[in-house]
Amino acid sequence: MSDVQAVVRGRGVADIPASLLAPPKRPWWWWLTSDRAARYTARLSFLVVWQWAGSTFEDIPTPVGTIEFLIEEFQRGEVFPNVAISLFRAVIGLSLVLVLGVAIGIAMARWWRVRFFLTDLILVGITLPAFIWALLVVMWWGFSNIGPITVCVVSATPQLVVNTFQGATATPGKLLAMSDAYRVGTRRQFRWLVIPSMMEYIAAGFRSAVLAGWGAVLLVEWFGNDKGVGFRAHYWYDAHSFEGMMGWGLVMMVIILTFDRMVMDRVVRHFRSWRTGGQQWSQ
Amino acid sequence: MATTEKTLEELEQEAIDSLASSGRRTRSKLFYSALGALAFLAVWAYFSTQLEPYVLPSPLAVGVRMWELIVSGDVFINFGSSFLKTMAGWALALALGIPIGLLMGRYRYARAFFHDFVYLFANVPLLVYAVIAIIVFGISPWGPAFVVMLEAFTGIAINVAAGVESIDRGLLAMSRSFRRSSGKTVRSIVIPSVVPFLFASGRVSFANSWKLAALAETFGGYLGIGFQLEKAFQTFSVVTLLSWMFFFVIFVILVERILIAPAERKVFAWRDPAGARERVS
Repeated sequence: MSDVQAVVRGRGVADIPASLLAPPKRPWWWWLTSDRAARYTARLSFLVVWQWAGSTFEDIPTPVGTIEFLIEEFQRGEVFPNVAISLFRAVIGLSLVLVLGVAIGIAMARWWRVRFFLTDLILVGITLPAFIWALLVVMWWGFSNIGPITVCVVSATPQLVVNTFQGATATPGKLLAMSDAYRVGTRRQFRWLVIPSMMEYIAAGFRSAVLAGWGAVLLVEWFGNDKGVGFRAHYWYDAHSFEGMMGWGLVMMVIILTFDRMVMDRVVRHFRSWRTGGQQWSQ
Repeated sequence: MATTEKTLEELEQEAIDSLASSGRRTRSKLFYSALGALAFLAVWAYFSTQLEPYVLPSPLAVGVRMWELIVSGDVFINFGSSFLKTMAGWALALALGIPIGLLMGRYRYARAFFHDFVYLFANVPLLVYAVIAIIVFGISPWGPAFVVMLEAFTGIAINVAAGVESIDRGLLAMSRSFRRSSGKTVRSIVIPSVVPFLFASGRVSFANSWKLAALAETFGGYLGIGFQLEKAFQTFSVVTLLSWMFFFVIFVILVERILIAPAERKVFAWRDPAGARERVS
């Protein structure tokens, strides 16, 4: 009688041979193929390839050189003031985007006249790249805070508007009908159905608005400003320092990717969590 | 897993579509659309009378300038140049994104390996890409093409991976047991499952690649719409800048209507267009 048959016949645990209870044998390199190992391998190989490219081609900065540059820039005291002023502009601009985008989106969903009045303008606004606005406001206002904030609002608001509109028109119809049937009051329907289902779309829209708005602020600072992260990158561009440009490019990326992962990702997940079980409640 | 989640760009495109296709266009709706455009022109015209013409030219002046640019042929030369760069970048992105996507859809290790790259390259600010283009290529048409590749291949890879995951395993098993050649299996099962996903990604990131190509030209180009915008900026000509801005909008809409919409109908003819992504989860 084989070991397996012994187990199947229902003998006591003590009778099961140790060879069946032991975890399956894995080859010694199994941990190299785990997901985590794959991610770290990817990051490491990225750095190695970058370092190789940088040391082979004269123009391309190396990661080591870029980090050294950033340390020097920290010591010169340029990093914190410039990051602070860019963040300040982005926060003001994005607050305006949030207010305007949600208001316009809801208005477009509520009144069809408003919707058709604004649809084409919003679609054109999405099509227009932020850098064209950036060139325009630099010509109009020169070095100022108004320029970056304006472009942030103009280029990020349409994205939030379309998402809010979609959220406001996509309230789960079956649930609304059921609430009506069970005589749930309008206010409670609003509080427990309409707002939660809309928040999901607003959060997703605001996430892409944050990416767009940050990019817009940087572009205006690059094309014409005397402060900020984008200005600093342009300063090193004028000085023909590729390490300087790369270093500040890295700063821009680290700021937005950290915020996106640490804050926006969680916000989006939070507002999506009421819909556990996927799409089954939507109409 | 990351491959079954919609990317931000795809959510955005859905929202845009839901707005653009909301309701039939009756006469009164058209009336309000026209009213919106007219109101915009009226506000612009009013402010142009209040401000100096070099600050804000009138709509008429911009129209005249646009006509001059069309007659001289500048528009076609520059848009052709930008279009070629974008398409070259797209060809490179396909060449890079399809193999990566196939690996990601097939092997767990590859999915984990490329996961971070895909997230990173999809969310880098466009300015950083433009900077990379001048660092690596200087003033050259390859800079825009190269960064368009970096920006576009992530969407392609994610969608190809999702397409591979959506392949019906039962069909594959069946074609094995009926001894179909692997070439035939690929042609009649793998490719039809993957192509709609590929197309969805293409449509979504098209507008973004276009913006990126123009931005990269602004930094280091000698021809193309981005270069023309930069020239207008350097010579402080708001009229020319506004003209190119409107050309940009017109061109993007034309390409969307003439090239992409018919191709999309063709690709999705055998399948419900909205459902392509839902089938995965």
